[in-house]
Amino acid sequence: MDRLNFINPFGVRYQPDMVSGDFYTKNFAKGAAENTIILNLGPQHPSTHGVLRVIVELDGEYVIRAEPVLGYLHRMHDKMGEVKTPWQFLPNMGRVDYLHPIAWNWAHVGAVEMLAGISVPERAEYLRVISCELNRISSHLVWWGAFVMDLGGVTPILYAFEEREKINDILQIVTGSRLTMSYFRFGGVCADADDRFLKLIEQFIPYLRKRLKMYKALVTDNVILRRRLENVGPMGLDICQRYGATGPILRAAGLAKDTRRDIPYGVYSKFAFPIPSGPTDDCYGRYLVRLREIETSLLIIEQAISSLPDGPIVIPKAPKPTFKLPAGESYFAVEGARGQVAVHLVSDGGKTPYRVKLRAPGFSNLSLFAEAARGTLLADAIAILGSLDLVIPEVDR
Amino acid sequence: MPSLDDRIARFKEIGVLAISRHDFSKEGLVLSAVVATYNLLDIAKELFNDGFTLLDVSTLEAAEGFLVTYHFDNMSAPCRIAIRVLAPTDKPTVPSLYPIFQGAEWHERESFDFFGVRFIGNPNLVPLLLPDDFSGPPPLRKSSENVAPLSALGLFGTVETAVPSWENIIAPKTKDA
Repeated sequence: MDRLNFINPFGVRYQPDMVSGDFYTKNFAKGAAENTIILNLGPQHPSTHGVLRVIVELDGEYVIRAEPVLGYLHRMHDKMGEVKTPWQFLPNMGRVDYLHPIAWNWAHVGAVEMLAGISVPERAEYLRVISCELNRISSHLVWWGAFVMDLGGVTPILYAFEEREKINDILQIVTGSRLTMSYFRFGGVCADADDRFLKLIEQFIPYLRKRLKMYKALVTDNVILRRRLENVGPMGLDICQRYGATGPILRAAGLAKDTRRDIPYGVYSKFAFPIPSGPTDDCYGRYLVRLREIETSLLIIEQAISSLPDGPIVIPKAPKPTFKLPAGESYFAVEGARGQVAVHLVSDGGKTPYRVKLRAPGFSNLSLFAEAARGTLLADAIAILGSLDLVIPEVDR
Repeated sequence: MPSLDDRIARFKEIGVLAISRHDFSKEGLVLSAVVATYNLLDIAKELFNDGFTLLDVSTLEAAEGFLVTYHFDNMSAPCRIAIRVLAPTDKPTVPSLYPIFQGAEWHERESFDFFGVRFIGNPNLVPLLLPDDFSGPPPLRKSSENVAPLSALGLFGTVETAVPSWENIIAPKTKDA
């Protein structure tokens, strides 16, 4: 009733058919309560991390309902996987998640290797671990900078990008690219590590440790940041289970679940490293888990560098571009920076796979946003969104 | 956490069409079960109570219909299980897992986008990744000459037990000429 008599500041009386907007806004507006505002965040708003759009229903400053609208970066990787051979599909993997492309490299290559029964030389396994962990650090660094920028602190992202540049310089030596890396091959990797690569990493590890101390002093212990994040957006184990959340979100909820430990792939079982979990399931907890994961990755890289074996980097009879997958299915999961990345591959023995399904952790993680944001302040909802560490190309695929 | 044998027995009690063990190192699964649509929610409830979470919903089109595969993993002890449901090509409807796993909403909408499978009980079955005015057949539908029978896809591992109608789908008896 009140909604019908509502006169806006410009003196225009509200009418039901005035709900403007596209299909998704109208669809969302159907369930709106009285005296609320429907606000469209994005798809270009800088704090939505890429082209994400969220429609929220607001009562004053409070979020009553929220609904993310996806698809603005949808490229149909599933279809491309079906019409291309596994070899032709390889470069796609660097483009699904631009912050942690090597995890996606690994998921796809791992699924193909699992199905075709291809083994990988030990040196290649070590190089996979080193590159994947370096890439994980750079992904967490970009998240860290962007997240603090969401909260209003613009400076940290400049520091984060300085570190990221150093990592890119290192990874460029072996992968040949700085963003859409496609380093893995079926049965190995495409380039060997040289002395310069190893030396730069050895210099980088103590450097980053020193910088992490500065991050803690400047940002992590900052009282403004803590007030913004503590007790905001709690996500316990229950909501994680119902929505299939993985990665730092699940670990911040207190469960030390990590694919690298649970289902060790590659040579992860040879390294000793802790799985950071807890201490709180709020935004600050997720923040701490990611920063501690950077230290974990440094530990793994250190061990891998010191025990890097000699030998070939690709098996002698590596699959040629014309190779055909045998009939069957495989489901291969790796731990990406955002959670469990998996590729489900089904083949009927033909030239191209019968079905390729990419499991993006961000997709499941974002799906719980609508529930987590309910009843929070709009500014807190932005903090929750940032704490999910979204990469929209990965969510949309 | 019950053992694999206990779990198989429990699934059989609820009702399965076929159940198979898998070699985890080769297929990435421990167990898979084909269930009838009317048993799907009971199985999902059972898995939820045992601490499983829904990883994804992976649909594929085969000659027999749409095979909707739900991948589950246990929260505390890794144990990947696939639950499959077959929906007929002409009228594909599957009950939604939304009442148990709210995260299923988006995964189901994705399958709805790509294959046109309708999930009964999904609260918001509108396009998710495709635009709302997308016209044309669902993009992952296959043309009739490209559709393979389920038996050609090698999905069923070591079959423990199957109802007679499914024995034929899993491994059709070759006709000796």
